[in-house]
Order: sequence, then structure tokens, then C-alpha cells
Amino acid sequence: MTRILVPLAILEGESVSAGLTSLLQPMNVTVLGYHVVPEQTPPDQARLQYEERATDALEDLASEFGAEDGTAEYRLVFTHDRTQTIDRVAAETGSDVYAIRGATGPVDRLLVALTGDVAVERICSFVAELIGDREIGATLFLATDDEEGGRELLELAATPLADRGIDVRTELAVDEPPFEALLDAAADHDAVVMGERAPSLRSLVFGEEADRVAAGSVGPVLVVRQREDDSEESADRTANGDDS
Amino acid sequence: MSGESSVSEGTNVEGEAPVVEPTVETDDATITDESELERTLGLTGGLAIGIGTMIGAGIFVFPGLAAGRAGPAAAVSFSIGAVVALLVALPTSELATAMPKSGGGYYFISRGLGTLAGAVVGLSLWFGLVFATAFYLVGFGYYAVDTLAELGIAVGEGLVIPIALLFGAGFTVLNVTGTENAAKLQNGVVALLLSILIVFLGYGGLESVGLVGDPAAPERFAPFGAMPVFTTAALVFTSYLGFAQVATVAGEMKDPGRNLPLAMVGSVLIVGVLYVVTIFVATSAFGSETLSGFGETAMVEVGRDYLGPIGAFAIVFGGLLATMSSANASVLSTSRAIYAVSRDALLPRRASRINLRYGTPHTALGMAGGPILVLTATGRVELLAEVASFLHLIMYGLICVALIALRRNEPEWYDPDFRVPGYPVVPALGAISSFALIGFMQPASLYVGTGIMIATAGWYAYYARDVTLKGQL
Repeated sequence: MTRILVPLAILEGESVSAGLTSLLQPMNVTVLGYHVVPEQTPPDQARLQYEERATDALEDLASEFGAEDGTAEYRLVFTHDRTQTIDRVAAETGSDVYAIRGATGPVDRLLVALTGDVAVERICSFVAELIGDREIGATLFLATDDEEGGRELLELAATPLADRGIDVRTELAVDEPPFEALLDAAADHDAVVMGERAPSLRSLVFGEEADRVAAGSVGPVLVVRQREDDSEESADRTANGDDS
Repeated sequence: MSGESSVSEGTNVEGEAPVVEPTVETDDATITDESELERTLGLTGGLAIGIGTMIGAGIFVFPGLAAGRAGPAAAVSFSIGAVVALLVALPTSELATAMPKSGGGYYFISRGLGTLAGAVVGLSLWFGLVFATAFYLVGFGYYAVDTLAELGIAVGEGLVIPIALLFGAGFTVLNVTGTENAAKLQNGVVALLLSILIVFLGYGGLESVGLVGDPAAPERFAPFGAMPVFTTAALVFTSYLGFAQVATVAGEMKDPGRNLPLAMVGSVLIVGVLYVVTIFVATSAFGSETLSGFGETAMVEVGRDYLGPIGAFAIVFGGLLATMSSANASVLSTSRAIYAVSRDALLPRRASRINLRYGTPHTALGMAGGPILVLTATGRVELLAEVASFLHLIMYGLICVALIALRRNEPEWYDPDFRVPGYPVVPALGAISSFALIGFMQPASLYVGTGIMIATAGWYAYYARDVTLKGQL
């Protein structure tokens, strides 16, 4: 089963909304409680003072995610660098997805953005696994300049989900600014699933796309992490497409 | 102190025991029972701490003073310092990879030689860093006054100490309240400084050997004989204290087995070469007597001599940055040194409290900043520098002794990634040369330094006599 990493700034009182907890409940979850200490402070010094309080909070959270059933665990990290910690723990726990917390009630419909540098198949198979046999619908979203190709891709991605009995809709944004179109679409949904994007100049200036979606939509965002072989996979796909 | 039965834990007068927990060290994190501590500092960061701490003193404060004492042979004094620093940096690297924890030299000595030696070194290191920081701040004051002079505002040397005090207080407050990430800034400052210096020294070097410009007037290499060369080496040794500050962040360094030795030995080699070339260039531009007359900011005149007003401006700007970065890095190291002894119950645990608002160790920073300001107010550059060197050299010597003690009877946990080449000659030479260098200092520095060590031993006897640290990890 896919493991989902849920990073939380635990000592700043960050918690998880009930809607996200029940959405992730059937999955394997690692709650990553982190505390960013300023560089004047050795992490060990912060640990000495805060470890107990942080552990108490994390134990409660982990039990909400199903620690008793063995599907949830927690890690506590004191760090100077949040991104480095999330990347390391995600790699160590083999988490393919990480969650950006957000406010939401019960989740009825997910917006699945086929963006980023992650293969569409991986995003969709994660969505199928996440929804399982629950009454949750999915809207596949794509922003592109190529209307015909986009429609084809959406159909292709929607079929296996529909075959599993999931209520799938598709939404295509043509010639619109992709980020704004995604935010507009997110407004009618309870949570967003999207692919990670490789770091670029754009993400350096504006911050990571997933973080901006989370900030703009207020709701939780599940990010399917990039794998080493993803770029090759998508390169292969394009190459094959060109041949046919 | 029972060496082998390290399980026994004593408490200090207030009933606090050392916090010792089993940990697993990986390349990316330190893992304890309940949590993990991320290692976030890379090789560049380590080098920036080492070089950034050292470069302010050696290049921007000492050339005039050193040339006045030893003549052109001051270059030899700096070389002696580099050799001593290297002989200590190698054993320190081995111990740091065996015990990659915050605390640095204090940690190795308390675990290798026991609580008394640890307490004396740990508390002396606090004062050693305080003296060093005060010294950097006074140097900064001179450069600030010179900057104003270059801008056409002549304020005179009367303002050196007030400016130094103002900035000393400013750094302390900034370190308590500022949570912005300054590490990247430090990397940038060091890179900029190195560029300025390499351009300047490259041009100056070519001119001094007579390839460009007018040939310089020849001068006797060691006009005052051999003895001043050694006493000057003892004075300018403050220029090499930074490599041990790298060890104080050992707990935060990624891949410590590789990066710690590289950062420590690398920063000593880089600044050692820069120092020797700087002195060579400076003494080629002016006779040592003239150079000595320029005092703490002699390098500005050297810059003016080679490259005109632009050279003078570049050096003034570099000097401001370098002394500032040295002072700030030392304030941080001081706070870490206080934390290390307080965790081991040699100081009240309160000293390592973190404030809730900023997440910074305000008590420790205050215990650094307060004494720093008092010492800065004295304005005694040479005394400050020598006492700082004295207290560090005691630690360096004992680090070498601790290495030999650990190697002679290796505990089970002792498994360094880096082993010092040429054991036991290198650590033995390191210990001997560290202690020997102290012998060349002024009597006043020796009295102050010895007084501090006796006071720390007295504190140990009163406060923490029952604490056992030897062999605990």
C-alpha cells in the first residue's frame, strides 16, 4: 500500500482537519512532526526542551490516523531545514505521496490535476487506491494548449478509474493560465491530488506549485512525489507518441 | 572518577545530572530514542564557519602589529601558527568523526580525560571565545572608523570602542531575535572576501616579486632576531582559532566522517596560505616600521599603495565584513559552548533554556554578550588576542592528549571515520607545540589566562565535583 507522509510543524500547533484524517485513514500514514530551529540554536538543545511536548501531540495524531491498526506511525525531527527533512524522511519511509494539510470537511470529491513531472498512470493508480470502495468522486483536470490531445489524455486516464466504479468527471482548461484555472477548479472540490514538479526558476521565485495550490485553495493537497525514473518514463511516452 | 564504569552518574550542587542518551549517528541525522536531529550543514557551510571566523583577525587586524614586532619574518610567525593549527586540526578531526556532537573540543576532552579536565576546558572555552569575540569587535571598531575616514568623515580613534560596543550589543540582540537564515549570508560574505583577497594578493604578489611596478626597497628579513618571531607567532595564533569552531557544530554537519576533517584541515590550509602571502605583500609595500605605525588597519594603506583609492576602499570594505563575520560567528560558538557544558550539568541547566518567542538560546547568548562587552570596553587588542589564544591552546593541547589517551585504550564505541596520519607523532607534536607556544606570550596574558583556569577549576570543585563524564557518549 502506498505510504503517505504528513509533515506538521508540531510545536506551532499545526494539526490535521477531520476531513483529511478520514480521507487518509485507510492508507499507511507517517506523521512527520518537525520543528524548525533557528541556526543560533543547536537542534539538540531544542530537543532537550520540547521533545516531551512534541511526542505527546504526535502520539494523539498518530492514533487518529490509525496507529492502533498498525497503519500509522510518527517521526519527530528537529531541523534547520524543513525541505531537507521532508525529503529525507519521505525517502526513508518509502512514502510516494506527501500531504499538505488544509481545512476541509468530509471529502466528497477530489480534484486530480494531471500536472507536474509525474507519470499520469502513477497519479491515477494512487487515486484509485485512495478512494478504494468509498463514495468519493474524482474530477480529472488538465490545462493545455492542445485541445484534442488533452481530451484524449483525459479519456485515457479516466477509463481505468471508471472501470473501478469511481464516479469520474473530466475538466479541460484550454488556453487559460494553468495555475489560475487549477485554483478555479479547486474551489468546487474538497481536496486536490497533483504530481510533484521538478525544481525550476519559477518554483524558486514563487515557491513550489503544490504549496501555492494549498495556499490558494485553503484545502489539503496530496502531492505524488517524483521518482528517479519519472523523467525517463515521460520521455519514453513522448517518444512513443511521436512515433505512432 | 572511575574510568571504566561509566554508567555511574553524579549530580551537581543543584541535583542536575548530565543528559546522556544513547544515539545512532547517520550521515544525515542523529537518531535518539524519541526523535531525530537533522544534519543540515554541508562542506561549504563548514568551511565558511572556519574561514569566516579566522580571516578577520589574521589578515585585517594583525599585519601591522606583527610586522612591527618581527619585521618581514612575521610571515614565518604566521607559518608557525599554521603548522601548530594543522598539528591540532588533524587529531581534532579524528575525535570529531568519532564523536560528531555539538560541544567540540570540550566534548572530546571531558569524554577522554574526565570531568575536571572537561570542566576547566569547557568553561575556559567560554571565556576564550569571549576574549576572541571582544578582540574581533575592537578590530571591527578600527575598520568602522577607517570607513568613515575614507568617506571623508574624520572621527578619530576615540570612537573605536563605542562603535565596537554598539555592534557587540547589536549582534547579541540580533542573535536572540533574528530568526532569518544567516548561514547563506555567511557563505556569501566568505566567498566575496576570498575574491577580494585573491585579486588583491595576486596583484600585490606580482608586484612584490618585481614583475610589475617599481621594485620595493630591500629590508632585512628578521631585523629583531629569532625570539620576536616566536612571540609574534604566539600573538597572531588568534588568527587560527576558527577551525575548532567547526567542531562545535559537528552535530549539525552532513556526512561528518568526510566533511569535518575536510572543513577543519581545509580552512586552516586556505587561511594559512592567505596569511603568509598577505604578510609578504604587506611587508613588500612598506618597511615594517611604517607598517607598524599604521596600526590595526595597516592593510588599508597597503591596499592604497598597490591599487590606489579603489584598493583602499576594497580593503576597508573587506575588513568591515571580515571582522563582523568573525565576531558574529564567535558569538554563536560561545552560546554553543555554554550549552555543551550546561547539558553536562557543569553549569545550571537554566543556561541552555530556549525562549518561546524566537526559539533562540537567550540565556546563553546573554552569557556570551555580557562579558564580551565588558572586555571590548578595555580595548586592549594584544591582551585580548593572547588570552583568547592561551585558553584555546590549552584546549588544543589537551585534545591531542585526549586522543592519545583514547587510542592507548580504545573504548568499544571509539570508531572514527578519519584516523590521524602519523600517530602518535602528530598528536604528540600537536600537544607539545600548543603548550610551547603559550610560553612565548606576554606575562600579563599568562596571568589572566591562568587566573581563569584556576577559577574554572574552583567552580568545578564547588559545583560539579560529583559529576562523572569520562567515557560517556
